[in-house]
Amino acid sequence: MIKAKNRMGLIFFPAYDWAISPSHPEREERLLYTQDQLREEGVFDIDGLVEFKPDIATEEDVMRSHFCFPDVESVTTESHMISAGGAIKAARIVMDGQVDKSFALVRPPGHHAMKSVHGNRGFCNINNEAIMIEYLRDRYGVKKVAVVDTDCHHGDGSQDIFWNDPDVLYISMHQDGRTLYPGSGHFDEMGGPNALGKTINIPLPPETCDEGFLFAIDEMVMPIIRDFKPEIIVNSAGQDNHYSDPITNMNFSAQGYAALNEKLNPDIAVLEGGYSIQGALPYVNLGIILAMAGVDYSHVREPNYNAAMLKQDPRITDYIKKLKDVVLGVYFNPPPIENLPGYGQVMTRRKNVYYDTDGIRESQVESIVRCRECAGLFSLETYSTVCELSLGIEIPMNACASCRKEGVKLLNSAKKSGKYGTIQVIDRVKKEYYRT
Amino acid sequence: MAKTDLYLGLDVGGTHTDAVLVGETGLVSHYKAVTDHANLLRSVRGAIEEVARDADPSRIKRVNLSTTLSTNAIIENKLEDVCVIASSGPGIDPGNFRIGRFFYEVDGSIDHRGTEVKGLDQKALAKIAGEAEKKKIRAFAAVTKFSTRNPDQENAIARAFEKISDFTTFGHKLSGQLNFPRRVVTAYFNSAVWRLYNQFADAIEEGLRGLGIEAEVNILKADGGTMPVAVSRNIPVESILSGPAASVMGIVALCDITRDSVMLDIGGTTTDIALFADGVPLIEKDGISLQSSPTLVRSLKTRSIGVGGDSAIYVEGKSVSIGPDRKGPSMAAGGKEPALVDALNYRGIIEYLDVAASRRGITDFAKKKGIAAAKLADAAFEFAVGRIKQEVDAMLDEIRNRPVYTIHEMLEGKTIAPEVVYVMGGPARAFRESLENAFGAKVEIPKNFDVANAIGAALARTTIEIELFADTGKGTLLIPSIDVRRKIPSGYTLKDAERDAKKLLEEHLSAMGVQANADSEVIESSSFNMIDGYYSSGKDIRVKCQVKPGSFKRLT
Repeated sequence: MIKAKNRMGLIFFPAYDWAISPSHPEREERLLYTQDQLREEGVFDIDGLVEFKPDIATEEDVMRSHFCFPDVESVTTESHMISAGGAIKAARIVMDGQVDKSFALVRPPGHHAMKSVHGNRGFCNINNEAIMIEYLRDRYGVKKVAVVDTDCHHGDGSQDIFWNDPDVLYISMHQDGRTLYPGSGHFDEMGGPNALGKTINIPLPPETCDEGFLFAIDEMVMPIIRDFKPEIIVNSAGQDNHYSDPITNMNFSAQGYAALNEKLNPDIAVLEGGYSIQGALPYVNLGIILAMAGVDYSHVREPNYNAAMLKQDPRITDYIKKLKDVVLGVYFNPPPIENLPGYGQVMTRRKNVYYDTDGIRESQVESIVRCRECAGLFSLETYSTVCELSLGIEIPMNACASCRKEGVKLLNSAKKSGKYGTIQVIDRVKKEYYRT
Repeated sequence: MAKTDLYLGLDVGGTHTDAVLVGETGLVSHYKAVTDHANLLRSVRGAIEEVARDADPSRIKRVNLSTTLSTNAIIENKLEDVCVIASSGPGIDPGNFRIGRFFYEVDGSIDHRGTEVKGLDQKALAKIAGEAEKKKIRAFAAVTKFSTRNPDQENAIARAFEKISDFTTFGHKLSGQLNFPRRVVTAYFNSAVWRLYNQFADAIEEGLRGLGIEAEVNILKADGGTMPVAVSRNIPVESILSGPAASVMGIVALCDITRDSVMLDIGGTTTDIALFADGVPLIEKDGISLQSSPTLVRSLKTRSIGVGGDSAIYVEGKSVSIGPDRKGPSMAAGGKEPALVDALNYRGIIEYLDVAASRRGITDFAKKKGIAAAKLADAAFEFAVGRIKQEVDAMLDEIRNRPVYTIHEMLEGKTIAPEVVYVMGGPARAFRESLENAFGAKVEIPKNFDVANAIGAALARTTIEIELFADTGKGTLLIPSIDVRRKIPSGYTLKDAERDAKKLLEEHLSAMGVQANADSEVIESSSFNMIDGYYSSGKDIRVKCQVKPGSFKRLT
């Protein structure tokens, strides 16, 4: 019998009775062939590898990360709560010492879900990784977390949620936004005034191969992680960089994904996108699981794998090499933000968000207090085609006395003003998450 | 009076061989003898002869047999050389699954859809055939990855050895379950015990003829059901580890189980535990493991813990525990160290053999450990009950936490809450009150529990499970384990598949000569729309259908 070097937990929840629509890429059969492959390989018989049932996330779990408008129930279904609960379970079994590592193979995905949620965008409603991370912090006192997003699409939702959080290092490597949904993820997106350089984007050119991805991991991601020294490393494991993916243009392979995970050595992986459900997912997932468990994966290969076809164009290699200095600069020596306010002053950001799946248009004004002492009081005013003007207030973890006081003041005056349909509050100091 | 039918059941266990003859009105005769492991056949024949001594052999309509023959052959490694030919394609290195002395990997590949990706290396097969012939190997196992989705390559491997083989196990005929490593192990074991098993079956059939018994003969399986002996000749591996199942089926035959329940078989060394949901014994999700090798052999969900009448008592500081080992017999039975039954004797809960010896033993042991004797005896008993309860709870927990794959099951999945605890085994009566308190459930102790295993074997009906896999895009339908493969129209639906699965299963059973069995039922069924690019490419339909374990007759 094969023995895993790392005790490994798998949370496999394929949601065989849930789809966005019958022919949508995010449909019932998405993980069917992955399950077939894992079963046929005898993965669940590997000594040290155990399958777990997901938790079901609670409304509080969601409200710890998101401002849901008008409320959690209106923007989620049971499938979302189970998917997020799968990520929570993955974290719990690692923290409780039941396993060394875990992988939540759950759907629907979450990394396009932003702080403010009015509906579904990019196949996502709520952000599984963010919900998991805030659970870890609330229940286990974890502080510093690194999220490495290897989905082909820029994880604009995760970036948005962690934008102002100096203790979450968010690194996204993705197909260049100039060529793919959602269009963001340029390297000059580097985080808010209190968390500058903690958002790292590595936009890779179309047709990047294993060589380019692994170079990015070795030369950009790992040096940054080594410096950041996170307590937990999370892989936001999208699988649509695969050469056979129908909605992207990259040339990454199952071997590449496995090698990436071996190098990154994440504590927890959470499935994101990936829609080549027959040609890629069965092999990529197998590769990731074996690599995380510390089991030989050298024989894992797609049936139509052709090394010659997947050789990287030298121009791409050159481009990525040049990218290295830029990306390292963002973390180690971030350029100053334009119009940076003084300490104690508020910096605002206006955003228009389009929910492609649900056809919702949202307008937001975000405010963050530039704070010397803490991550800064955060608030967000929002309205959309489905929701009247509403407000979200977040008092950050370890907030300073002044930010805490300002937060309470803001809440009271907002209530008094009567102009908001819903007010959502995240108070990380008191660990209270509620709507009024 | 009309001649009524008789049913003969036989359980060859590790210690005892039990035989019963059951008639319309109940137990007719029973017989118990120590199993002769060196000559199982003698044990079996002797027991049949004894139990049927006073019966009219022509009335015996059915002989059901649970035997350790295949299990022991595997455990003791008395196995025939088997040439295993495995073709795996990409994935985990098949070298990890080497088994036996003659394991060959052959190039070839089938993907999860059952599409042949790479043809078999015919040259390599011819070379292996040459070597096997030289080494005089006559038993083979053909196993390919995803053969349950496309058995062509396994069939081709078998053809390559046709001329020199006495027997070949086809991986896809063992089970519809996806699991290549288990398929390899199970196919190997099957071929390795095939000859020995068939010799045994020949001898049994001949012996029965000699006694004038013209009954249908069935072999008990680990899932609590039987298979006709003719069928078992090709899948002897299905006869392994049927012992615990015999006891469970005994409870089914002796009690009218309809609710969620627990079965405890408290013996000398161990307590065996089984669970029932709505009166049906639970089946292990995957196959049973033998010699720490997981197989595809379906089995009941049973667990065995080291709590029994002879479990040794330990004291560490103030804490008293028993088992999991035993140090010979109890002092009541002439042993040297106190065991659980001695504690029960001491407290007057039972009166078993030499009560004075037990009292002496417990008193001395308690004095040595500086603890009051009554306290020691109570604590030992309490520990035993607690340990049993703990294990049952762990099994229930495991079921509650078993992964599910739909939102519906996640939210509506059935949980098991035992209402009755059925207890058998020597110390059963002594445990009644304590178990009632521990479980907060009714405790029932069936009569005749000392031969429940043989009764269970006698009255078990035939079980079978099949998996249908249909791909309307390719227009194919497969039921690998019963060798069904046919074309289907593109408009084939899940309803058609459910109907066909039941029909084909029943046809298969009647072809095996099984009559008057329980109804088949669909236990899993799903249909997925497959999409290739942006276009529908048909449906992926899967149906699992079974005849569940049960007794064809009750002795309540």
